[in-house]
Amino acid sequence: MIPSSFDYFRPQNLDEAVKFLSQHEDAKVLAGGHSLIPAMKLRLAQPGTVIDISRIGDLSYIREQGDKILIGAMTTHHDIESSALLKEKCPLLPEVAACIGDVQVRNKGTIGGSLVHADPAADWPAPILALDAELEIAGSNGRRAVSASEFFVDMMQTAVQPNEILSEIRIPKTAKSVAYVKSAQKASGFAIAGVAVVIFGNQTRIGVTGVAAKPFRASSVENICADVEPLNDIHASAEFRAHLAQVNARRAVELARSRE
Amino acid sequence: MAAATKKYVGQPLKRVEDPRLIKGIATYIDDMTLPGMLHVAFLRSPYAHAKINSINTDAAKALPGVIGVFTGAEVNDKCGVVPCASQMPDLKNPNHKVLAGGRAYFVGHAVAVVVATDRYVARDALDLIEVDYEPLPAVSDPQKALEKNSPLTHPELGSNTAFTWTLANGDIDAAFKQADRVVHQCMIHQRLTPMAIEPRGCIASHHPGEGTMTLWTSTQIPHLIRTLLPGMIGVAENKLRIVAPEVGGGFGSKLNLYAEEALCCHLAMRLGAPVKWIETRRENAMSTIHGRDQIADYEIAVKKDGTLLGIKSRTIADLGSYLQLLTPAIPTLTGLMLGGCYKCKAVRMDVTGVYTNKMATDAYRGAGRPEATYAIERMMDVIADELGLDPIKVRQKNFPKPGEFPFNTPTGLTYDSGNYQGALKKAQQLVGWEKLLKQRDTARKAGKLFGIGISTYVEICALGPSKMMAAGGWEWGCVRIEMSAKVTVITGTTPHGQGQETSFAQIVADRLGVPIEDIVVMRGDTAVAHYGRDTYGSRATAVGGSAIVMCIDKLVAKGKILAAHLLRTKPNKIEFRDGNFFIKGSPKKSVTWKQLAPESYLAKNIPPNFEPGFEASSFFEPSNCTYPFGTHIVAVQIDRETGEVTFVKYTAVDDCGPQINPLLVEGQVQGGIAHSLGQVLFERTVYDENAQLITGEFMDYAMPRAKDIPEYLLGSTVTPSPSNPLGIKGVGEAGTIGATPAIANAVIDALSPLGIRHLDLPLLPEKIWKAIQQAKGSQK
Amino acid sequence: MKFTGVCKIPAPREKVFNAITDPAVLQRCIEGCEKMVKTSEDSYDAHLKIGLAGMKGSYVGKIQLKDVKPPESYTLIMSGKGGPGFVNGAAKISLAEKNGETELHCDADAQVGGLIAAIGSRLIEAAAKRMADEFFKKLAAEVGKL
Repeated sequence: MIPSSFDYFRPQNLDEAVKFLSQHEDAKVLAGGHSLIPAMKLRLAQPGTVIDISRIGDLSYIREQGDKILIGAMTTHHDIESSALLKEKCPLLPEVAACIGDVQVRNKGTIGGSLVHADPAADWPAPILALDAELEIAGSNGRRAVSASEFFVDMMQTAVQPNEILSEIRIPKTAKSVAYVKSAQKASGFAIAGVAVVIFGNQTRIGVTGVAAKPFRASSVENICADVEPLNDIHASAEFRAHLAQVNARRAVELARSRE
Repeated sequence: MAAATKKYVGQPLKRVEDPRLIKGIATYIDDMTLPGMLHVAFLRSPYAHAKINSINTDAAKALPGVIGVFTGAEVNDKCGVVPCASQMPDLKNPNHKVLAGGRAYFVGHAVAVVVATDRYVARDALDLIEVDYEPLPAVSDPQKALEKNSPLTHPELGSNTAFTWTLANGDIDAAFKQADRVVHQCMIHQRLTPMAIEPRGCIASHHPGEGTMTLWTSTQIPHLIRTLLPGMIGVAENKLRIVAPEVGGGFGSKLNLYAEEALCCHLAMRLGAPVKWIETRRENAMSTIHGRDQIADYEIAVKKDGTLLGIKSRTIADLGSYLQLLTPAIPTLTGLMLGGCYKCKAVRMDVTGVYTNKMATDAYRGAGRPEATYAIERMMDVIADELGLDPIKVRQKNFPKPGEFPFNTPTGLTYDSGNYQGALKKAQQLVGWEKLLKQRDTARKAGKLFGIGISTYVEICALGPSKMMAAGGWEWGCVRIEMSAKVTVITGTTPHGQGQETSFAQIVADRLGVPIEDIVVMRGDTAVAHYGRDTYGSRATAVGGSAIVMCIDKLVAKGKILAAHLLRTKPNKIEFRDGNFFIKGSPKKSVTWKQLAPESYLAKNIPPNFEPGFEASSFFEPSNCTYPFGTHIVAVQIDRETGEVTFVKYTAVDDCGPQINPLLVEGQVQGGIAHSLGQVLFERTVYDENAQLITGEFMDYAMPRAKDIPEYLLGSTVTPSPSNPLGIKGVGEAGTIGATPAIANAVIDALSPLGIRHLDLPLLPEKIWKAIQQAKGSQK
Repeated sequence: MKFTGVCKIPAPREKVFNAITDPAVLQRCIEGCEKMVKTSEDSYDAHLKIGLAGMKGSYVGKIQLKDVKPPESYTLIMSGKGGPGFVNGAAKISLAEKNGETELHCDADAQVGGLIAAIGSRLIEAAAKRMADEFFKKLAAEVGKL
């Protein structure tokens, strides 16, 4: 329960954070801490340096810009859950936020931290994929944008390089025809099969988390897991995960339609 | 002694304990610091079974801040083995030492200990210790462990069988011959991890000048530890002080003397400084005792009208790799309650205790009785199903009538009092039985999986008559009226959440006629509570409370003598009521404790041969255990596609005799229901086929949370127990014992239209879904 | 945990066999293998840093090449212990020549213990498969260089 020793820096702004990150090879960024700190306490992660960005105020925001909504990477799950703007213009996100962990976790955990940690069973990847969001990454060469489909590279690996920091998530405004249906692993609350559905006109977009080594967009409503190999553990077999993914996809589509 | 007009007993008073707990100002072991205190950390084996070829501690010792690093070679011959109080004729004991010797035999087995100036250095030093392990084949499955060519958990014992035990009474063969039917079912009672919110911890401090040792430890049993520790550390009983500070939950997992506690005492002596150890959650999951883990094969001989003729059980108990205090005893408690609340003349239980390379099992909320109740209540449903009878009628058919108490069971117990029919009726009333049956019909017609489950249970607690308790089953109490007329109550029980600081004050306030705010209840420190047998087995109020009552009687008798003297009359002319001693017929001529107490302590005007002071202590020896009982009725609905279970209704009627504080009773039942819910629906301790512990953190070990608790309707009947002057039966474990089978039976009932008659615990969504799929498949 | 894998390497069998029994090549192919030091005829001490993303653990262990039957097969035995736990594995590697190409069959059995067995249980299979895929990819590239 005690991490190994580390150096600690608290940058004043994002640029300083990126600078610290490129100066220290064995560094990890600390946002809400609810993925990093447990890993450090178990000594599964032993970063030589921790760069604490939790007090950088201007990384936490939810604002409209044209037909998009911009969310700062440090925005907490709680702020997303309770955002009147999102409930009105992109209700999928508050719906998903409410399913994350518990109240204490939601008060501290950030959407950016969760996305970069990329736990295969975290909730955010599903709606991010279903919404085809755009993610902005800050590095020493400035900012670059990556699409949701390019963001999740592999199991617990994203397009964010070791010396970069996720800065903003850009999502489209949607109608009310959205839904998130999740079967949770009873101990951790993480998803065994979490399915986010966005109905855009005659297009149905489905993002799935918890089922495979990385989150994915389902290419077919009839066979959600056609292109992936579901994970297998003591909480759910691969067969059961695939089944739940299918059931939850159907239920999410029905729910989204009923909200039109 | 005339009973006072009841002011407190029976009232749902808020607990005296709660303000400090809620405000975070209670003192737990980790809140305590002693000058010069050192910190301890344990290196534990990641292998389930391995030879330890060598341990290199040089680098660890060289880390600044490290005072010492010790392995088995340096401490094992200086400390005794971990005690086991339960003896079986053929028990093979591997004699668990404080640290691993040449072999580690479970994941989490401590192989080295670091002592350092702070806990951070101690933890860092662990990473510097190099252990040369040579993995050995590990035993994980208890049934496979009994096969001929199985690897051995302890090669020197020659077998994985720890012991065999049989309980038999009546003519079981005749019963089976006469039977119209023999109903057979195998049932698994899965291993559970207690997961008290506060893990273990202790501080050991030795005074070299006085030769005394003080051990503060998060324990349920300071007195039993004081009796057992001398054998491990060589300090005499009368030089030991054991203190249980605020304890964050025990549930049986702290009903033990652990290697770590003894080793900390040894290190404190060896290093000449106080030594503190606080367990991490992972250590708690690996090396604090586990509960349950029985595989039971039941055969019940019945007549076609549902009358039970004989019960046979062959049980395999997976004990883990060694014995803690009560490890072998737990399945024998199952045997004692084999027949549940039913009449049955013939019984036979054969237990095989098996060693596997896992953590030891021991008492865990219910300790053997949840296993018995779950089994018999599942069997009653299976019997009803096989005979085509109503599950309620099958139970009623075999109930003893209220007039048949005290009721002798074929397992050798005498149930003190009971009215199983009464509790059942009340539960049916509360839940709205007929309406519930209709609700099930309607739901089923609509294609829903809706089930109703009941359990009619009895359990044994308030342990107990000393003849059946290894260290004695009495309890000690002391009541002292101070010179200021404030009251100090000392109990030899060790409450750690049960609420006796409140309930004992209620009893004393009523019986002494003093304001409840003037009473303090002390416990947990062997220097303060000189004697005791501590808290477990739902005994504190029944047995401990009775000792307090004995003290009060003595004090009132003494008060009468002094009052008579002051009122210039004879003691037999004095009456006592509501804190007043007065002359019979002249109530205005009275004195209260406020007047008596200073007189007694200043002793200037006391009668001849009158001892000053107002203190009484007593030992209460119970004549029998007590047998709380009740009925739980549960309705659930299952989502066919996901296997998830939702509660529709939860009703429980529990009879624990007269209730001192209904709020405490409700809390215990509520907690028991939570425990059962966890066990039935999602809790399980998982070791893989290499005996690697998979559920070592809350990431994987699922616990019930607030939102999982269903809305429940609680009721009670009151059937006093003749076993103690308070008539109390105890309720700490009854909820867990009654709820598990009720919930399980409800789930199976929901699945029964599909032809499913039994599924083992835990009833996980995937297990339910697979059973539904299989049933669909076989229907094609 | 058991898994089997097949991969095709566009090179003759002898070449592939030499590559997969060459400790220098093995070290470059095993992801996170920082060092491989020969201790006897077919045994090596190895230092590995393996894991997922930011959660890599350091393991010290032994690698042994047993039952070496050139150019057909051998068994690779690995055991490593580190803070997060231990890994023991044995992989039977057999090579078949088909049209100038080599088909490499890998039949592996691995045991994971300690913290990673618990915390990582859901990710272990996927992580192991990933490591195996990486290994074969790197091996094909190495053989191509020879």
